This record gives sequence, structure tokens and C-alpha cells, in this order.
Amino acid sequence: MTTRAWSAALVLVLAVLAAGCLRGSSPTDAISEDELIWAISVNDRPTHELVAQAWNEAHPDTPVRIEWLPPDANEQRRQLFLELNAGSSLFDVVSMDVIWTGEFANNGWIDDLSELRDQVEGNSLQASVDSCTWDGALWCLPYSSNAGFLYYRTDLVEEPPTTWPELVEVGLQAAEEAGISPYVAQGAQYEGMVVNFLEYFWSAGGQIISDDESQATFAEGDAARTALEFMRDAQRNGFYAPGFNTLIEDPARLQFQRGDAVFMRNWPYAYPLLSGEDEENPSAVAGKFDIAPLPTFDGEGTISALGGFNLAINAFSRKKDLAREFILFASQEQDTQMILGRRSLPPTLQAVYDALADDPAMALLSEVLPEAQARPPLPTWNSISQAMQDNVFPAYNGTKSVDAAIEAIQAEVEDAVSIGGQ
Amino acid sequence: MSTPPAPTSGAEREAADTRRSPEVAGGSGRAGAVERRTTGQRLGKTALLAIVFLWCLIPFLWMFATSLKTTDEALASPVPWQGPWGWSNYLSVFDQGFGYNLRNSLVVASMTTIICVGIGSLAAYAGARLELGKKALILTGILTVSLFPPVSLVPPLYEVWRAVGLLNTYPGMWIAYIAFTLPLSIFILTTFFNAIPKDLEEAARVDGATPFQTFYRVILPLAAPGVGSAAILVFSYAWNEYLLASTFAPRDLGAQTVPVAIAGFSGSVQFQEPVGTIMAACVVVTVPMVFFVLILQKRIVAGLTAGGVKG
Amino acid sequence: MATATDARPAAAPGGPRPNRNGISERGLARLFISPSITAMAIVALFPILYAVVLSFYEYVGLQQGGFTALGNYVDALTDGRFWDSVIATFVFTVFSVTFEFLIGMGFALIMHQAFVGRGVARATILIPWVIPTVIAAQMWRYMFEVTPGFINWALPFVPDDFNWLGSSGWAMFTIIFADVWKTAPFVALLLLAGLQTIPEEVYEAGRVDGASAWQRFTRITLPLLRPAILVAMLFRTTDALRIYDLPAVMTRGAFGTETLSVLVQDFVIATPNPGFASTLSVLTFILVLGVGVLLVSVLGKELVLGDEA
Repeated sequence: MTTRAWSAALVLVLAVLAAGCLRGSSPTDAISEDELIWAISVNDRPTHELVAQAWNEAHPDTPVRIEWLPPDANEQRRQLFLELNAGSSLFDVVSMDVIWTGEFANNGWIDDLSELRDQVEGNSLQASVDSCTWDGALWCLPYSSNAGFLYYRTDLVEEPPTTWPELVEVGLQAAEEAGISPYVAQGAQYEGMVVNFLEYFWSAGGQIISDDESQATFAEGDAARTALEFMRDAQRNGFYAPGFNTLIEDPARLQFQRGDAVFMRNWPYAYPLLSGEDEENPSAVAGKFDIAPLPTFDGEGTISALGGFNLAINAFSRKKDLAREFILFASQEQDTQMILGRRSLPPTLQAVYDALADDPAMALLSEVLPEAQARPPLPTWNSISQAMQDNVFPAYNGTKSVDAAIEAIQAEVEDAVSIGGQ
Repeated sequence: MSTPPAPTSGAEREAADTRRSPEVAGGSGRAGAVERRTTGQRLGKTALLAIVFLWCLIPFLWMFATSLKTTDEALASPVPWQGPWGWSNYLSVFDQGFGYNLRNSLVVASMTTIICVGIGSLAAYAGARLELGKKALILTGILTVSLFPPVSLVPPLYEVWRAVGLLNTYPGMWIAYIAFTLPLSIFILTTFFNAIPKDLEEAARVDGATPFQTFYRVILPLAAPGVGSAAILVFSYAWNEYLLASTFAPRDLGAQTVPVAIAGFSGSVQFQEPVGTIMAACVVVTVPMVFFVLILQKRIVAGLTAGGVKG
Repeated sequence: MATATDARPAAAPGGPRPNRNGISERGLARLFISPSITAMAIVALFPILYAVVLSFYEYVGLQQGGFTALGNYVDALTDGRFWDSVIATFVFTVFSVTFEFLIGMGFALIMHQAFVGRGVARATILIPWVIPTVIAAQMWRYMFEVTPGFINWALPFVPDDFNWLGSSGWAMFTIIFADVWKTAPFVALLLLAGLQTIPEEVYEAGRVDGASAWQRFTRITLPLLRPAILVAMLFRTTDALRIYDLPAVMTRGAFGTETLSVLVQDFVIATPNPGFASTLSVLTFILVLGVGVLLVSVLGKELVLGDEA
């Protein structure tokens, strides 16, 4: 190489070496631990930004700054895990999936907020408050919630069925006539599939653990068997759409939106998208679908899994008083919760549902949420969920026997119950 | 003289060479002008080349087509050219500050490569040429350290990094990367250094060069292919790395790299997967690199033979 | 490194010998190697030792129980899930490395040629290499998924609802396919570097001797490529044995694609048990080390260790 080329290369190398020694410039200032930091998933970003904005306008001296966590639930958990496990005071307010309450509390990562219980009970949905409770104490405040809807095609089905077997029958018939698939939902091997399974399981009368959290009651009665056999049969006889066992929320939604399914089980987020509210994003089923409560096995009532996010205070935070004010603002102020409601993120404040009763999604939510069931807030919920994923999945795909699956899950629940709450 | 499509496998190339005319049509490398070839062979080679092109390009073209789709309807359709189309996904990508991520990835990958190849060459030279004592043990030890699955090393490293203040900085990443790529770089460089005949060094020493001068003037140019390979390896590792990057610089645009950023894209509502935006980001990452390679491909390949061991 | 042809003044083998600058060769060697050792000791060695120590302790969730010596190891080695993942890992490694080599060799030979459009060919071949792994994984996942179903649509002999990612066997195929697509160019680059070092004369001599094209390839090219092949094979194999990104993104480890690293990550984050996770890591490490040592001894110890093999 010529001397010039060498010199040029050397300059380039030196430039890189100089640049690489610190950190690059960034459009935002580096985080300082003097700010109030709120860690929340980047999903529904515009909604959370509006909440932060509302706080900043009311408290200009103590603004809140959002640290965005990734959209994937596992990645969210991983980043929270790393921070909290290291005892970091970076995050002040932590947004937790409803199933993490017991675990985070048991690890000593979040503060006990029992003294706020009076302010919360009666105002927030009871199921959400339950999801914040573990070992008799209140560990977080409800922020957003979620419940499962049954979406159905009004041009193919007259009345939404009220039992699962009826759903299968109607679905198969309507699908054959229309040349599409009967049903899409969440069937991949992940937490979402566990939610689907639990909805079958609970509506068959099953209970994972006893009310006092001391006994594993998963295998009691025949709820587990009913649920698993239902899933296995559905997969076998084509009720579940092809590719069901890799579906997560959005691909299912896209399939229904394309007009390729008669029924769908999904969260309320799909409603505005399916209605084609966004002009730039038309929907093939706009005006041709409606929502209904999920069916049960005996046709009585409805049960859906409770989802959503709660807000907790990092046990290592240095601004706990301010954090407390913030989470009360986000959870209990009607104006704030109205922001969520108007933007199709299901709120947790009862009053908002009354105010927004005109919105069909909100109306159905207020009907369904009181019946929504929370997954047990045990610290060991993750291992139970893992066991369910690892066993329900092969069971409904036909590669593992239903009995073996039930046995394995029961064993794990027993383990979890004996460990939990220490 | 035009060069017809050349043979595309070693065997065929050798076969063609036997019929080569004395004239050589130039160009680097080893093939020259080919006079006679049957039409069948020519078609065969063209077909093979076409398959290679399709294999590499179709996924990329699909990526590009998907990145232009702006509605859910289009995205749900398997047909690549299903409209409506638009550039809104690209706008969305840069709205999220993707330019910063590109810069960060380039800096981190370049830093890692430069430093790793630098100190790795020194270590490899020591291993190959200088008296070291217990050489086998050291080399083996170095190599085995790199074989540990990085997944379980993350939590303790995170705590240390946090305590030392290396989070969300460039050094936070390249220090870790160097530690994990040094062993294999040293291994490769040692292998290539070993292959260089010792007589050249003897000659240099006889001429009065110090070991360092010998290293710089004689060894390094001849080891260029090895250095090139190691550089490619290291750069590729750093560019692709996700686990450590997402741990040490998860959110700060001052240090967040491309793979981490893309994993953080979300639609406007929960659960919505922004497939179009993700694909747009992929295209943005790929196209400059492809142009870079296109322009420099001669240099890259020739650089691998700088100094030329070919007689 | 006492060589018979050493023209320097004789010295005791291994003994220090000052040269003109006053630094002994041994000292220089130590100087050269110290930055590397330091970097690795601080960053890589410490967490490894930490993990090894942890593997001897029993954990319940994140709470440390007592010292259990090899208790975790026994648990792991008797766990069906562990052996399933060993099998998955090996299946993945064998197939992907094999195909990467075959295709990579072909690419390398093409890139080595001179023909019209060579530049474009080279750039095209390198496209899969420049796409970061997790992104390529996402891309292939979308392509293989039933909705929108591009692969099913593009291949005429495949039904529109074929469930690649959701069937045992085919799920592993998709991961191998994605890995081969992504990494073959990379192997090609490594092999190309080796190809470029083979002098023209050697082939001339072969031709003069009347060797056929195939004979020249197997008797000249391949043997002379041994260092490059060793390097590429070692690197790819140890990497494939520890693959994490592809199965995690494409199938979440379902349908028999739970490789060892995916299994470990499960116990690091999802159902945390630092002791057991460390145990699994150590076992993975031993496996990878074993395979690595095997490869080196089969393909050429002397290449690594110089004359001291």
C-alpha cells in the first residue's frame, strides 16, 4: 500500500479509537439519578407519554422521565431483573406485568404499599387490586388491565355461542361454508398460550391452588382433563387454524383482520384495529365483526384471564415519596385513567368505565372484568407457567399424553406451593 | 477480449484452465481468458451463478418489498408486491433515532476489531515465534476461556459493569467483546504466523533488525491473510452481537447498537408487531454495507493477499 | 523454540538472552502477550470462575441454599430435558456446519474467479453476512410463518398452510436453514483467505503432471487449505454448539429446538436458579471443549502449536 493509503488508514484508525472511548452523543441527555424515572414497556408509547405529560404539567418542578423497556415481555423482565437484582436505584417507578407481583415482592425488589390500600380499594377494579396483593400485603397499584374477548364474524354467525363445544360446532360449520379457518388465538409455546389454557381450565371449574395458597388443586376434579382434551381435539379436527401452534397475539389478529377466521380470542387492543379506525390501515372485516364474552363449558357466566400492568416502587429507589405520589397519580386520578380509556388501553379505575360506557369495547370490558381471574400471584408463578408451557403444548399437539401432562403440572404446582412465601 | 462466464467450481475451473490460451485477460486472481467452451458448459455455469444470486438475493428482496408495505392488509398477504406501498416505515425507523444506532454499531465493531487484532497479533507473534515457555498450555488456556457459553456470564458481568460505571458506554461493550474474541483471533493468527517460513526472519535478523522490526516489516505483511481473516471474524462478531449489547447498553441512544434497537421497535399499540418497520431497519442496515463491500470488494480480497506469497 | 537452523549464538533452550535492545526475547514475549491475558482474565475469567463456584451450590429461586458439591450435576445429567437439548444441539451443529462448509467452499471458489460481474457476485454473496443475526432470524421467522406465509406461497409444491415452525423436525430444519444462509458467506471468506495463499505454480505443476481437475482439487487445494479449514471449522463448530439467538427468536425453543444455551438462559432469567444455570453452563463448556480438542487433534495439532506439536 502506498504511504498515502497507510496515512489515511492510520488517521481513520485513530479517529475510531478516539470516538470509541466514551459514548456517542445522544439526542437526550444522559440519565441522571436525580430525575424521577419510570420504567415501562414501549408498547402503547403514545399513551404513556401523555400520562407523563399530564404529570409534568401538574408538577413542573419534579418531572418524570420514561425509560422504555422492550416490547417483548421476556426482555422486559430480563432488563428489570438485571437492574433490581443488582440493587440499582436507577428506576424509581417500575411497571410490572400482573404476574410478577409475588416474585418481585419475594425477592425484596419492591416496597410494601399496604398503607395505600384504603385509597385504592373500591376505586380500582377488584381483580386488579387482587393481582397487586401477595402474602397479605399490597405491593403495587393497578395501572392498566386486560381481559380476553371473543371476536366473531357477524356475517357468518348469528349469535355468539356461550359454550366452548357450541363454539367448535358453529365454527367448523361456518368455516367450511366460507372456506376459511374456524378459530385463531394464542397457541405458541409461551405465556399467552398458558392464558388461553387457563381460560378453558377455569371455565371448567378448575383452580390451580386453594384459596389460602397452601394446596395444589390443579389435578383435582376433571377440569384439567376437560381443558386439555378440548385443546387436543380442537387441534386434531381442524378447529384451530393451521399454524395455530405458532400463533401469538398479533399474527392471530392479522389473520382475523384478513377475513381468514370465523372466531378469534384476543385482547381488546385488536378492536380499534379491526374496525379500521385508522384510515391508512383498512380492515377487511370492518363492520363485519363484533365482540362478546368468552364462552364457558357449562354456558354459565364467563371467565377470562386478567392481564395488565401494575406500578410498583423500586425498593432501592432514592425518591420514594415522589414515586408514591406519581403512582397514585397514574392509578387513582380519574383524568389520568381517562387517558388510558380513550386510547383503548383498558384502565383500572372503575369510574372510567362508567364514564365511557358508550364505547363497545369499554362496555364489554366492564362486563367481563369483574369476572376476570388473576393467575396466582405466587413468587414461583414463572416455574408453574413454564411447566404449563412445557406440558400443555405437547399435550394439545398430540406428542404427550394428557395424563402425563396433568401429572407433571401438578407436581410443579406442589413444588411451587411448598416453596412460595418463604 | 471478453471473458465468458467463468467456471464456478474448483473442478470445472481446473478443467477450463487446461484449455486456456497463453493470453491472459488480466484481472487479479488466477483465471485467465478462456477460448473454447461448449455451450452446455456455459449454460451450466450461468445457471449455477443464477442460483447463487437467487439464494442470496431473494430474502433480501423480500425484506425490501415488505419494508414498503404500509398497511396491515398488505403485511398479512404473502404476495411480496401486494400494495399499498410507501416510505412511511423508513420515516418511522429514523424517527426512533436509528441513525444513532448505526453509528454506535460501527464504532463498537471497529473499535473491537482494531484493538483485538492489534493486541491479538502481538500475542500470536509471541506464541508463534518468541520463546514463551509453556506455550501449549497458555494457548490452550486462552482458547478454552472463550468456549464458555456467554449466556450465564451475563448477570455477574452486569453487576461489575454497573459498579464501575461502564454501562451505556462504548468501552463497556468493546472491552467485553475483546475478551471474548481474543482467544480465537490469537488462535487464527498463531496458525497463520506458524505457516510463515522462518528463513525470512533469520535473514532479517542477520541484517540487524530487532524482533519488533522483524515483526513489523517482515511478518506482518506476510500474515496479512490471517490478519484479514481475524479482522473479519471479530468485526462480524461485534456487529452481530446481541446478548451483551442488550445487557450493557439496553436503551441509551448514545451507545445502543443496531440489533438491540431493532428488538425494541414496537407498533403503536401493545402486541402489535411492526413487521414493516423492522424490515425497513434491516434494509437500512444492509444496503450501505453492501455498497461498501461492492466498492471495496477488490480491495478486500486483494488485501487478503497483500505482500503476496504467490511467487 | 530452539530450532536446529537457528543461526543465533547458542543459548540454553528457554533461557533468557539479551539482544541489542536489552530486552530478552522471553521478556518481549511476555510483554506481547500480557495485554491479551489481562483483558481476558478480568473480563472472561472472573465470571467463569464465579459461575463454576456457583454451580456447586444449591439454589431455590434466587435464594442460596447450601453447598451441594456435585448435586446439581447429578440433577442435570439425569434430567431428560438436558439430554434432549444435547441432542438438539448436536443435530443442529452437524447439519449446519456441514452445509455451511459445502456451500461456503463453493462460494469461496466463485469469489476466487475472475469473470465479468465478479464484483457484483462477491457483493451479493456477502449480503447474508452483513445482516445482524437476530435480524436475519426475525426475517426468516416471518418468511416461514403460516401468516403471511411467503415461503408457502413461493414454493409451489408446499400447501399454503404448511406449518414449518410448528412441526417437530421441520422447526429444526428452518433454524438450520437460516443459520446456513446467514453463515455460509462467512465461512467462504475464511476459506477464500486460504485459497489466495496457494501459489499458482503448484497448480501448474499439477497440470503438467497430468492431474485432472478433481484430482488437483482434492490433492492440492484441500491439503493446502488445511489451516483455513481448521480455523473455520473450529470456529463454526464451537459457535454452533452454543447457538442461542436463532432458536430463541424463531421457535422459542419449541419442537425439539431447545439448544443448550436456550436451556441455560431459561434458568438464568425465566425460572432463575443461578446454581443450576451455572451447572448447565459448565456442562456445555465441557462439551464444547471436548469437541474442540477433538477437532484440533484430528485436523492438525502442529498447525496450532508450531514445531512443538
